[in-house]
Amino acid sequence: MSFPKKTGGKALSALQNLPRITLANLRPEPGAKKPKTLRGRGQHGGNRSGRGHKGERQRGTRPRLGFEGGQTPFYLAIPKYGYNEGHSRRPQYQPLSLKRLQYLIDLGRVDPTQPIDLTQLVNARGVTVQPLKRDYGVQLVEEGADIFAAKINIEVQRASEGVIAAIEKNGGVITTTFYDPISLGIVIKPVPFFLRGQPIPKRMLPGEHMVPYYRDAENRGYLADPEKIQQARLALAQKYGYILPDISKDELYHMLSMRKDVRQIFFGLSPGWVVSMPEKKILKPTDEKLLKYYSSYV
Amino acid sequence: MAAALARRVSGLLRPLSVSLCSKAPQLCKLSSLTRLPPVYSSAAAAVRAPLRAAACLTPRYNILQRVLPLIPGLTPQPSRSLTYFSVKKGKRKTVKSVTDRFMRLHCDLWIRRKAGYKKKLWKKSPARKKRLREHVFCSKTQGKLLDKMTTAFWKRRNWFVNDPYLKYHDRVNLKL
Repeated sequence: MSFPKKTGGKALSALQNLPRITLANLRPEPGAKKPKTLRGRGQHGGNRSGRGHKGERQRGTRPRLGFEGGQTPFYLAIPKYGYNEGHSRRPQYQPLSLKRLQYLIDLGRVDPTQPIDLTQLVNARGVTVQPLKRDYGVQLVEEGADIFAAKINIEVQRASEGVIAAIEKNGGVITTTFYDPISLGIVIKPVPFFLRGQPIPKRMLPGEHMVPYYRDAENRGYLADPEKIQQARLALAQKYGYILPDISKDELYHMLSMRKDVRQIFFGLSPGWVVSMPEKKILKPTDEKLLKYYSSYV
Repeated sequence: MAAALARRVSGLLRPLSVSLCSKAPQLCKLSSLTRLPPVYSSAAAAVRAPLRAAACLTPRYNILQRVLPLIPGLTPQPSRSLTYFSVKKGKRKTVKSVTDRFMRLHCDLWIRRKAGYKKKLWKKSPARKKRLREHVFCSKTQGKLLDKMTTAFWKRRNWFVNDPYLKYHDRVNLKL
């Protein structure tokens, strides 16, 4: 008859009997930490401490970066040119390739049975938009147009012709909309905005330079004439050589035809409403002036 | 800066007329926005800002502006040093002269103009003028210097609309 062997043995009993482990009880393995030699402590007393021999280098009186002894420095001899002029006023659009969009749909991060919005893309971590860096939204890029095969109702800020063709070929709908920077910040992070307790603002209309882009049916702009958009769809189908599928006969027609109002930021929520997260309620304004302001297009 | 100098120097010259072109006709023209259901027609409001008062037309002010750069001791010396740790926030600062003259491509190359591309062109041969008109890359050491003089903001990827330099931000067919 053998005694049941205690696993751990002495180590286990030591662990059970010794006091609690704290920083005061711990010490690294001898030889694990080798102290590095500090400056001025090397052989022969460090000698010049890594500073070299005499001169400005050792004495620490070297001139500023770019100085060339009095000669006009290189970075001043070159003439000015407006490469970066107005860079902080130029809108930027984060690119999203169709390849990545297909990847997100395949993995189930983006739901193609619901309208795909900028909020949905950011929730799925498909794109990262930074409104503070002059980002005005997302642009769709043609990489992966040949492998794209998903029927979606997507709303982006900019799209090229090839992308529009690829999406409409698969029976989808694409719209280009404009979000001003404040609305963009709200669309990207809706929950922190709701926690602020402010009423949902009206989405502003595009500035003078962007209005022609969003009024154009070729770009599927949200301000364009719906009939012209239909004509543009047919023309594009002829140009790229595919048969335009008829979406009105589609089972998801209602979803595909969902579009936001010009002044609306979220689907199902109007400007002026306050969403209260802790109480889980939506508060709507009742005052006439407020209702008139929030429902006007001017 | 010019305004501060003008204030300092105006004590030396006769006091300028107080009401310099006080008339500032407020010209605001709001074009009415039409209601937009189904066709959302353009909402471009033509709001012209009030006309700037033409304060720079008095003869004394013109002379002031011409004489200021010639008076020694009144034009401030530019400070060309690089700030490693700023006083207020403790951050590194960019040297603005660099961003005025150079452009950083995302592939770590810097481009610039040739010095003298607009000067004394009458005496330069067409071939020389063409060479001066070209945009040129900076060398590796020059690029390293410019990188040290700018902060990380100038090294970020930018996706401008209709950017003429968009295709140059990535190297293609580079064999090391």
